[in-house]
Amino acid sequence: MPSLELPLLFIAILAGMLAVTSAGRGAWVAIAVLALSSSALEFSIGDPNHIGVTLRLSAIGIGLVAALPENLFELQALRRDLAVRTLAQTLREHPVVVASAIAGLLLGLVPLALPIESSSDALRAAGVALLVVGLPPLLTSRFIEATTRAAVVTLSGTLLLRTSIFGELDPLAALAIGAGFTCILVVGGSVATRISNAEEEQ
Amino acid sequence: MTAEALLTTIRALFPMLTALSSLALVPLIRLWRGPQRDDAAIYATFGVQLLLLATSLGAILAGAGYLSTLKIGQVTIDPSEPGRLLVLLGGIVFAVIVGAGEGRRAGTMGQIALFGIAAIDFALAIPSGIAPIAFLLFASLGISGAAASGKDDVSRARAVFRDLRTVSLLLPAVVIAEILRVAISYAAVDASYATPASLAAGTALGVSLVVIAAAGVFPFHGRLIRIFEALPVVGSLLVGVWIPSALALIVMSELSSLASNITDPLGGAIVPGILLAGAATLIFGAVSALLHDDIGEIVGFMAVGNAGWLALAAAAALQSPTDSSSRLIVLPGILSISLFGLWLVSVRRRYGTTSISELGGWARRTGANGIALCAAIIALAALPPGAVLAARLNLLLLGGNPLVALFAVIGQVLLIVAAVRLLLVGFTPPSQTVHKAETRPFANVITISLIFGSLFVAAAAAGWLSIEAGGTGPLPPAPSVSPATSFDPAPTSDPTVAPSNEPTPSATASPEVSPSAGGEISPAP
Repeated sequence: MPSLELPLLFIAILAGMLAVTSAGRGAWVAIAVLALSSSALEFSIGDPNHIGVTLRLSAIGIGLVAALPENLFELQALRRDLAVRTLAQTLREHPVVVASAIAGLLLGLVPLALPIESSSDALRAAGVALLVVGLPPLLTSRFIEATTRAAVVTLSGTLLLRTSIFGELDPLAALAIGAGFTCILVVGGSVATRISNAEEEQ
Repeated sequence: MTAEALLTTIRALFPMLTALSSLALVPLIRLWRGPQRDDAAIYATFGVQLLLLATSLGAILAGAGYLSTLKIGQVTIDPSEPGRLLVLLGGIVFAVIVGAGEGRRAGTMGQIALFGIAAIDFALAIPSGIAPIAFLLFASLGISGAAASGKDDVSRARAVFRDLRTVSLLLPAVVIAEILRVAISYAAVDASYATPASLAAGTALGVSLVVIAAAGVFPFHGRLIRIFEALPVVGSLLVGVWIPSALALIVMSELSSLASNITDPLGGAIVPGILLAGAATLIFGAVSALLHDDIGEIVGFMAVGNAGWLALAAAAALQSPTDSSSRLIVLPGILSISLFGLWLVSVRRRYGTTSISELGGWARRTGANGIALCAAIIALAALPPGAVLAARLNLLLLGGNPLVALFAVIGQVLLIVAAVRLLLVGFTPPSQTVHKAETRPFANVITISLIFGSLFVAAAAAGWLSIEAGGTGPLPPAPSVSPATSFDPAPTSDPTVAPSNEPTPSATASPEVSPSAGGEISPAP
């Protein structure tokens, strides 16, 4: 789906930025959108059976169901948290993340560091942008849920970067990576719950 | 599906199928004995121990030959000799550890061990590249999460959190290494790229980082120590020793094939850096083990010391790709640390403390634990001198740096001294805690299995059984070609030709070398 590549790319980067900057509902919805858009980008070439994309989406789906906090789907709160104004405000409050994403996008488009000419520009740009958005919070954040989401963003960026050069993953690698996404989300969710329970007890 | 195909599937996936069957077996046992019955946990533990031993037996029977190679479409699962050897020994080691650990969660720990060794077998059975490394990294994360569950302990949760962060950072490193690896082929024909030697150095650094960080090589030892402090012994051993060692086997295979295809010396001081990290890790682990008072931490620092050998082996794989010493030391290292883990779990269970100051006279009171620790010391020292000790000395010679070799030897001697210190504490006058502790009669299934299990494992670790050579067997090679549809430059060589061990000429030697379209870290055609 080459015609959809550009919109999907921007949706993925926007979702990646919101996943690491928002809190609560906005961030989790952003992760779901990121999973959908980056999977569509990653597995858009070939794959008549769609094994890879099916594995990826079901893995992230299972992980999200396990990791999502309670009361996520309160309609009123969802509407409030996902309002365009709220999202824009969130991004405005984190100019460094937005600047990083733009810098990553430009760095990816101009293949100075990766002069493999035949790689896909759009995927490479999206991959580098998501990497530079996800890596700093993954390295520095002290909040478990935020780190979990940053890990998903970083991993999505890494895989887009890889796809831009090598094409989509083979079924076994897709299975391993899908299991990895589930693992990160489930383990991250359970660790966050355990720490908050222990802190409440204390 | 024909009967033959079914048999092949069972052979190829036997450890995984056994692990999955435990998910049904344990609840069924609990249902049978009833939730209120005290012996439900004992029966569940016994059932899981039987499954662990069955996995070992299955690994011997199924083996790693062509009869066990499963092909589903383009997917090949080809069990390797090192993988099957790890399953064989892992089943026995963890069956004994689970038995010695007893307790309400022993059955769950056994299930975790089943999944851990199944994950190792599966990862070592799939073609090289990103898949086996990703599979092992995520299995490590899943196992640490599962092992830490059961109680809301902040330190446990934080250890898992640290693991999550490490795993999420290592995968990008592997992908970057893959990209640099493929760029080596281009560098030979295009001057705008960095030199093959520097690209190879970047690739080596990327894949070595996986072992360095996962195994707990200095300065990444903090994660390993937290794991040994916080997680149950089965989880600690799997996440801190078994899975990193399986990763090391994959990484060493990649490093060997990388080094054998580069004629120029690797750029960027990668080899001296890894050698230095290895020697520093051995010294650091040994000195810390000597200075600490908690036996959990001491075993953790011994695992750090073992990680030092893995780093030295990685450097040797780069220095001398055809030498098998680097892979020969992996299995004995796993087994000796597992023996310390077995001793730890048994002593902790018996005396309810992990402080050395409260464990005076433990060996007098429980002789079986003394035998287990003696076995661990023999395994650590690899006595009497044989193939394992020769392989370690060979690694030091391959490193080519006398100072590094001297530090490594001092570190290893100090590790043995730290272990002997634990034994000597056992012969001091009994402390109050040891005196009051209940002991079971010597003629007991758990005690006998502890003694025989530790002697068997020590014999395997010290090289008496001569099975360690199985750990140097080949791993399934990377797929010959996995081109992207948008990837224009086609290889001029036949992609089905088996990778050669002959070095690829460098840019100056042979500028007509063509780029590889292979997407995996594999020998360039």
